[in-house]
Amino acid sequence: MDSRVRDVRITTEEDSMTHLKRRTVIGGLGASALTAPFLTRTAWAQSDEPIKIGVVTSLSGPQEFIGSFVLNGCKIAVNQINAQGGVMGRELVLEVRDDRANPADATAAARELIGLGAHLQIGTISSAVALAMGPLMSQEGGVVITCGAGSEKINHENYNKHVFRPGDGPYMRMRAQAQLMAERQPEVTSWTGIIPDHEYGRTTWAVFVDGLLEFYPDIAGVQPEIIDPIIVPYGAGDYRSFITQAARSSAKGIYNSTYGGDSVTLFQQAKPYRLFEDRILMDSANEFIVAGALGTQTPPHWTGIHWYHETNKGNEMSDQLYADYVEMTGDTTPMGWLAEAHAGIYAYAKAIEKAGSTETDAVISGLKGLVWQTVTGERTMRAEDNQAIKDVELIYIEPKPDTEKGYAVTDYVKVEGTSVIEPPSPGQAVELRSPT
Amino acid sequence: MTGELITIAFNALIWSMATFLIASGLTLVFGILHVLNFSHGGFFMIGAYVAYTVLEQFGATVPLWAYLMAAIVAAAAMGTAGAAVDQVVFRRLKNFEGVYVLIATYALLLVCDGFVKLVWGLNYHSVSPPESLLGVLFAGGAILPHFSIFVVLAGLLTFLVLEAVLNHTSVGRTLQAIAADPWMAQVLGINVSSVYRWTMIVGFALAGLAGGLLVANQSLSPDLAGIFILQAFGVVIVGGMGSIRGAFIAAILLGFVEAISATYLPSYPGVLFFATIAAVLILRPEGLLGRATT
Amino acid sequence: MSITRIKPQHFAGVMALLIVAGFLLPHVANRGIVFLGGVVAINMVFGIAFNIAFQKAGILSFGNAMFFATGAYATGYMITQVPQIPFLLMIALSGLAGALLALITGLLALRRSSGVYFAVITLAVGELIHVLITKMDFLGRNDGMVGVFRPTLDFAVFQIDLSQGDSYYYFIILSCAVLISILWVLWSNRFGRALQTVKSDPMRADFLGTDINRKRLQALVLSGAATALAGALFAPWAQIVTPDLAHWSQSTMPLLFALLGGTAFFFGPVVGAVLFSVLEYNTRTLVGISDLMVGGLLLAVVLAVPGGVLGLLKSVIARKPAKSLVRKEKNP
Repeated sequence: MDSRVRDVRITTEEDSMTHLKRRTVIGGLGASALTAPFLTRTAWAQSDEPIKIGVVTSLSGPQEFIGSFVLNGCKIAVNQINAQGGVMGRELVLEVRDDRANPADATAAARELIGLGAHLQIGTISSAVALAMGPLMSQEGGVVITCGAGSEKINHENYNKHVFRPGDGPYMRMRAQAQLMAERQPEVTSWTGIIPDHEYGRTTWAVFVDGLLEFYPDIAGVQPEIIDPIIVPYGAGDYRSFITQAARSSAKGIYNSTYGGDSVTLFQQAKPYRLFEDRILMDSANEFIVAGALGTQTPPHWTGIHWYHETNKGNEMSDQLYADYVEMTGDTTPMGWLAEAHAGIYAYAKAIEKAGSTETDAVISGLKGLVWQTVTGERTMRAEDNQAIKDVELIYIEPKPDTEKGYAVTDYVKVEGTSVIEPPSPGQAVELRSPT
Repeated sequence: MTGELITIAFNALIWSMATFLIASGLTLVFGILHVLNFSHGGFFMIGAYVAYTVLEQFGATVPLWAYLMAAIVAAAAMGTAGAAVDQVVFRRLKNFEGVYVLIATYALLLVCDGFVKLVWGLNYHSVSPPESLLGVLFAGGAILPHFSIFVVLAGLLTFLVLEAVLNHTSVGRTLQAIAADPWMAQVLGINVSSVYRWTMIVGFALAGLAGGLLVANQSLSPDLAGIFILQAFGVVIVGGMGSIRGAFIAAILLGFVEAISATYLPSYPGVLFFATIAAVLILRPEGLLGRATT
Repeated sequence: MSITRIKPQHFAGVMALLIVAGFLLPHVANRGIVFLGGVVAINMVFGIAFNIAFQKAGILSFGNAMFFATGAYATGYMITQVPQIPFLLMIALSGLAGALLALITGLLALRRSSGVYFAVITLAVGELIHVLITKMDFLGRNDGMVGVFRPTLDFAVFQIDLSQGDSYYYFIILSCAVLISILWVLWSNRFGRALQTVKSDPMRADFLGTDINRKRLQALVLSGAATALAGALFAPWAQIVTPDLAHWSQSTMPLLFALLGGTAFFFGPVVGAVLFSVLEYNTRTLVGISDLMVGGLLLAVVLAVPGGVLGLLKSVIARKPAKSLVRKEKNP
């Protein structure tokens, strides 16, 4: 695997969307481009001007909560880098725009920022936006680093060399969760899921099942029983019909990939039905969202997290990020998206230094195959599909009535990324194991 | 099997009564003022946040009296907001076409969203049900949480009170006269303007009351308004816009549609709900108990 | 409320101004603004298509997003799945799909209801369409369709590659100009006047032998078709089509444009679409309070200038001569 990682294939011009008939826009634009006053970024590129990084993330709408962490992560990273002399002697500055979690608004903002000379962008949370960014960036000549966009299509079906994911992909995250369960809970062999009615929800379940089917026979020596998951709607105020169905299930393990307020509502309403008592609850990606809202009502559960500062204690970057975050906001519970943005900005800084240029193509080749230090340790940006290879972090949260927050992290682990990541296959879907 | 049927019926009832609590103020305002108030969900949400703030003082265990008191505080706060909104917005738009009022209420909904984010932030919150309602009742193999029974009773009680006031008091008869023909009511010496104001206040107070009573029913986030407003709209229009009794029946009908579709059509959440609304309206555009269209 | 008539030469003048402004934009602004310019042009059609049914026939639809989404999805599907169909035919077929959906909606609901009742029926039908889109595999479910590329216009003797530079932008400007002109003709000709009678005096219209329901249905179908055409133009512009387009909040957009500019005026939604974009663009960096800003401003407009910006201008202009007249009398 390592040898393949180093195999930098920057000449792969054709991405999966060959029918886009992409042209080099700068060459093909003609007179209009030359006369436009704002379209002069190439002229600036070599000067001592600050390097502009565009942050296009959700600062309103349903993902605003995550967007606020992304923005803070970017700010902290930029401050840290500038305090150490910037990148190639140039300062980093952020240009911030709201994408409203909506592809049309996001692409308009991204285009505007490219026009302003911020062709290096970061911050995509929504999968739909991430998928829209690829064609846009290859057409307009920009780069985007996503911060938590979960779709597996980003580095498979809709792979585009202008889009990078410095954090967990769904395959590594969910398979790591399955691997951990096979190690820690070999006796829990029957699993079901509570899955949001959404593309991404179905993917998380399919990948988790793939992991169960690989790791339970390997590690626990048993064939797991997979029970049909409960599909639940988005943004409902009442999940009791689904909860009563799940409560009747014979499964001993429940995989939850509902999200945010939906999870809070669901867990809250599930309490009288004792859905999570005597069962193992593995949560896909809520980090501290559910625990923060439910406090002492939180059911004990594992959850995936992009970065947990206690897990990474001793890593200087991590300790510094935590300290800077607490100083900046006064909040003592940062969530992992902070680290995704932080790692993304550092990836840009290292890639620009490696390439010696801020030009789009140079930065892309700088990012591909990049090995860089982050708050979770060393990461490698896989050259084939722009997916980072990194360790997957999980935490175990239990209610603790005598604490201020009402809950505490009582266990945390790192699962080695290389043991769970899928092989690269840009342009193609991954084949998964499924129960026979 | 009986357990499953009881479960479905009970789940349907919880959904119905929670939605009816929210829809009651909406349908009252529509019935009297003929205003479809988009911002109703927003004021419901603020009511829930107000109750949350009150209940935060009690820590993790909330006594039932405090829970009810928080709901009353929320109702009073939103009633006051209703008076203000009536003064600033609705009074000025009295002589304009309905569409202007509709847009104004939509704008108010956005303002409510922004207000919640500004005051309470983006974090998700939750409130535990009152401690005396944490238990469950077992009935024929089904599990009936006490808090859910409380929600059902609260909805039922609200319905009965509104019905009694509207049908068996002089206030109610005045309201019905105005709803039917405001011009004639004016001629007969009724202070229509004052009645409109009080309807607004009561409608908004009902939104706040619903927010307070349902604060432990689901998570609190700035998305809360959007989650319930379409649901409540569905109930109001299926019931026959403005009819409290119609809204009550519609809430039960749609509650069963939701519970049945969740159980037997789990891959298509929402489809049956909107299909039912569309079907009812196509067959009976005035709604189940509505008057003829205008 | 009286409806302002525009003389043909005035209409041509305004259109020429809009087209020139549209063509100049790429030369003076960056690509983000050019993109917004294309969106604004499409929104003008979106707004007028709504307003012609609303102002002329009294049909208040709260579900126009479904027509827009129908057009966008139809074009998006054809471009990605059957790209051999000529692009102009794709657009025409998308408009037809919108007309068909409007026809079905109208046949089912229009005869039985009107006013706010019809509005809520369209809201419910629109939301049903929205939910259905998110369930359809061939429409990409929640993720929508990506890679909606900008095709080539093939005129046998010559070809125009719309993926090149700003050519698709110019194509949008010209297409929208054509659509707006067609809508203007229908707004001011006999058809438009007949609709007007249906709205302002249905009894008289009935007495005169006008089939009211038929006229209202025609207005809705026209509105649906034009909205779908706007959606069809939008799909290759954004290069992605997502279910957001069919969400009910999207249906409030044409209403906002019309109200902001003034529903009584043909160009009301045009002014509204421009103003709304300017407003949104200038608040784009005020992160975190965008809801409060948009909501507050909208409320202010509805409360302070309910006739829209054009209504305000008209009353200002109408008052001026009156004032000068008074002055003349005082100082003869």
